[in-house]
Amino acid sequence: MSIWHPDDDGHADLSSHDTFTAGPPHNTFARLRRDDPLHWSDWSGGKGFWSVTRHADILDLNRQTDLLSSARGIRMEDQTYEEYLARRTFQETDPPEHSQTRIKVAKAFSKPVIAGFEGVIRDLCREILDDALAKGRFDATKDIARQLPMRMLGRIIGTPDADLPWLVEKGDALIANTDPDFTDHVLDRMKTDEYRLMPFNSPAGAELYDYAKRLMADKAARGDTDGVLHLILQPGPDGSVISETEFRNFFCLLVAAGNDTTRYSIAAGIHALMHQPGLLDDIRSGAVDETMADEIIRWATPTLYFRRTATRDFDMHGKTVRAGDKVLYWFASANRDEAAFDAPFRVNLGRTPNRHLSFGQGGPHVCLGMWLARLEVRVLFKELAARVQSIEPAGDAQFLRSNFIGGIKTLPVSVTLQ
Amino acid sequence: MKATWILPDGREIAAEVPAGRNLMEAALAANVPGVVGECGGSLSCATCHVHVAEDWFAATGTAGDFEEAMLDVSDTPRADTSRLSCQIVMAPGLDGIVLRVPQA
Repeated sequence: MSIWHPDDDGHADLSSHDTFTAGPPHNTFARLRRDDPLHWSDWSGGKGFWSVTRHADILDLNRQTDLLSSARGIRMEDQTYEEYLARRTFQETDPPEHSQTRIKVAKAFSKPVIAGFEGVIRDLCREILDDALAKGRFDATKDIARQLPMRMLGRIIGTPDADLPWLVEKGDALIANTDPDFTDHVLDRMKTDEYRLMPFNSPAGAELYDYAKRLMADKAARGDTDGVLHLILQPGPDGSVISETEFRNFFCLLVAAGNDTTRYSIAAGIHALMHQPGLLDDIRSGAVDETMADEIIRWATPTLYFRRTATRDFDMHGKTVRAGDKVLYWFASANRDEAAFDAPFRVNLGRTPNRHLSFGQGGPHVCLGMWLARLEVRVLFKELAARVQSIEPAGDAQFLRSNFIGGIKTLPVSVTLQ
Repeated sequence: MKATWILPDGREIAAEVPAGRNLMEAALAANVPGVVGECGGSLSCATCHVHVAEDWFAATGTAGDFEEAMLDVSDTPRADTSRLSCQIVMAPGLDGIVLRVPQA
């Protein structure tokens, strides 16, 4: 399996979504970290881009938002200014504008507020595991990893459980918009620009927005002012109010980003349990409760990269990045950087400190949902380890077709219960 | 210049800190447990929250609006002398400063 024994030739095409169907090309990342830490790639789908692959370099650049801006797009694809304005969320803004929006929802995702969900999460984990483990053989991504963040999403935004499968299907169509298993509108194979002003260049964005409008109208009719969707509509510290377009895009972001990243962290963790003996015992020992979630999330690195755009020329590693150039921070590479982690290709659930960059640490855009993700992962694996004796592969794992989101989309397993 | 962190168990960690370095980065360099600094000092998290020792609080200045807002959602309990240590930059007037790391 390529996560454990990468088999790319060290010169993989990072611009190609197909490259990543065999898992991240870690031999290529290792070569770039060693020999070419600021690497230029040409790209047939648009302007070429720089790749930053060392942990220390990403940390150094990520805080310099005046030099490397999020306000021109955060994925590889080029956007016109019109497309940027139509599709942006606060992910695609810089401080201080970013902070004005973020501050409205920070409390809802803060550690003390999220900690209050632990009981709800444990109950959901037990329901999910009751159903899945009873099957003996099943797809662990579909039956476990996909379930927990989807059902928590319903609790966070206040939607009926019956709506969740539809919502998550639409969220997948957005964020996995390069994988034909998840969308009919595969981004790099599309023949139309009809959806270019929609979130993620996808018609699913429009459907989600209609849903959000109905949801907010229903909530208003009931006098329900709970939850993060209400918070985002309130004026910020400077009195600014979010526009209708920004609200649409924020809703899409919640549905898409809150779902697949935690899903693929859980999937990568279950995959690790099958390939590295002793992890289940480590979890059962109780000695890694505080550290295991971060290590699983480091191991998974679901967001492979985020892009920035240079605001002026600068030199680095003997090369010159020009104003307007796209610069990719490859978190997937940084999280396997031998200079930052002992034995980075081993899962060490007790790893301390664990300065992984899966949440985009080191800059203002650090993941808003990181406390929720950590809590979901910790509780799920504690509950799983308490029930199963062993987990074995029951078929080939399949990776998402995306160079942006890394994940095991199909993970056949068979379990032996305790 | 010197800064000292007092951990929840009473243990102390002291470190030399050059002028101009913020005390979140200084804590990371000195491996002070409980100071994480996940957003790199850009006021998007509160994981570098400290309680400044009373005698030193006035010398650290006042928190801005965004820092105030983040202190309100901190993962550790807020006190009268709470600050985000990324917003305190070492300077001659802070040589010898003492910070308490709140109990998680």
